[in-house]
Amino acid sequence: MSVGSQPPQTNRIADEVVVITHEDVDRAHDRVRVSAARAQRGFFSGARLLWLLVGPGVLVMLGENDGPSMLSYAATGAKFGIGFFIPFVALTFCMAIVVQEMTVRLGAATHRGHAELIFDRFGPFWGWFSMIDLAIGNFLTLITEFIAIRAGLGFFGVPPWMAILIALVILYAALMSHRYWTWERITLAAAAFNLVFIPVALMTHPNWHDVGRAFVTWQPLPGFNKDTLLIVLADIGATVTPWMLFFQQSATVDKGLTTKDIRFGRIDTVLGAALATAAAVATILATAPLFAHQMTADNFQAAEFAQALQPIIGRFGASLFALGMVEAGIVASITISTSSAYAFGEVTHKPHSLNLPMGQGKSFYSVLTLCAVAAAAIVLIPGLPLVYVVLLVNVVAVLAMPPALVFLFMLVNDKEIMGDLVSPLWANVLSSGVVFLLTAAGVLFGISVIAPNIFAVLGGK
Amino acid sequence: MERKDEARFPDSSSKSDQASGDQSWVLSSLEHDQLVRAKKHFIPRRHLKGPELAVLWGLRIYLLFMMAVVIYQVWTAAR
Repeated sequence: MSVGSQPPQTNRIADEVVVITHEDVDRAHDRVRVSAARAQRGFFSGARLLWLLVGPGVLVMLGENDGPSMLSYAATGAKFGIGFFIPFVALTFCMAIVVQEMTVRLGAATHRGHAELIFDRFGPFWGWFSMIDLAIGNFLTLITEFIAIRAGLGFFGVPPWMAILIALVILYAALMSHRYWTWERITLAAAAFNLVFIPVALMTHPNWHDVGRAFVTWQPLPGFNKDTLLIVLADIGATVTPWMLFFQQSATVDKGLTTKDIRFGRIDTVLGAALATAAAVATILATAPLFAHQMTADNFQAAEFAQALQPIIGRFGASLFALGMVEAGIVASITISTSSAYAFGEVTHKPHSLNLPMGQGKSFYSVLTLCAVAAAAIVLIPGLPLVYVVLLVNVVAVLAMPPALVFLFMLVNDKEIMGDLVSPLWANVLSSGVVFLLTAAGVLFGISVIAPNIFAVLGGK
Repeated sequence: MERKDEARFPDSSSKSDQASGDQSWVLSSLEHDQLVRAKKHFIPRRHLKGPELAVLWGLRIYLLFMMAVVIYQVWTAAR
């Protein structure tokens, strides 16, 4: 049932007046379908329930396979070939599962977003800090996503302004439904194109024996020098970025997941991580022939990887690779700008939901649109120091991650809001280890960005 | 904080009877704290104990350090 733009309704439960809004009705509609699927037994009902409940986890993981990440995987394949980094990438996604699972539990148990919980439980200073830091980091990251889109579509001869316009139209089209469910399905459909790197990898005819050996033995190891260490630190530090925490928790709340759905929220997260790992490993495999052909990839950009691969996999394969880069940028720009809008609404206590009609969610949609349009416009500025923007993204992410992870850990162990859903001891040991590793790697990488010679003691380049 | 869009229906109107069916349908489908109305209530501030306060102070010091690093980075890049 949809109520369109009809005014909110009221009811009384006990002594409290309850105001029913458009957002409530849309969310209730989604919950009815979930309840109906849950009430039935059998394989198809279970599959339908999974279909209804997946979304935030898949989106966050495939969203993290964004333009810069795919470029990083491509550079890794071209620089190191098939070996250590293939199982290593899979390990980083396992760490991401540990962290993101906490956001599912928090969202389902409290029905509040991450920024809102930090604001309420730890005070305005940390609430505003989290929101502003997230907004700055997201904005800079959005710029890099539009760079990837521009570069990817540039492979097909699309001029930069048109590439940016296409991306904005897709972003806006997803929003136009004013319905979380529809937005989620459109974005999931776009995110599925992340798997386009798999056929590209198959076209390069990888040596599956080497791939299997890499997964089992983590061999061959890359030479241990400064460059390798920095790539390892950057990959670990980038496993979970601040927007992922804020996005998945807010999307879990907006989707209306409850404590009964946590198991499916976990499946959603693991499924997303598995798909993202497949796409990431496929990208490494796709560019590994460049390593085998001794082609240097130090200065490659997104479109240049596609051009470099064209002699090996043909025009069609190279086009798929370029399209993959475009998809990575588009999906990440949708999810990242949405996470900014969620956080803004949560901290300012303004309406924040993809179920809101435009008239009721002016601030939410304005923040979302403004972030995307401003970042897109910046990419079109001639002579912009893009390398410096990417560097700043890393530094700001490092600044934001430790507080975000520490608050996540404290909140998920907060018995007052979590009740029996606080983490058990074994989960705390695991998650605290992962949080410590992610934080340490991120900080070390941040320091290396600022002081590039800090690891010169290792005797590398 | 009240939202402007939340106009209320008079309880005695016929419109209210029809709306009442919709309301109960929505209320039975959602958990009480999932309603937009419920989310307007702030969750009480957490009472922090010794170790938690120490962690937050650690974070503050970390932020000051990293802010200085970022400002230095921007300054050197601008030069």
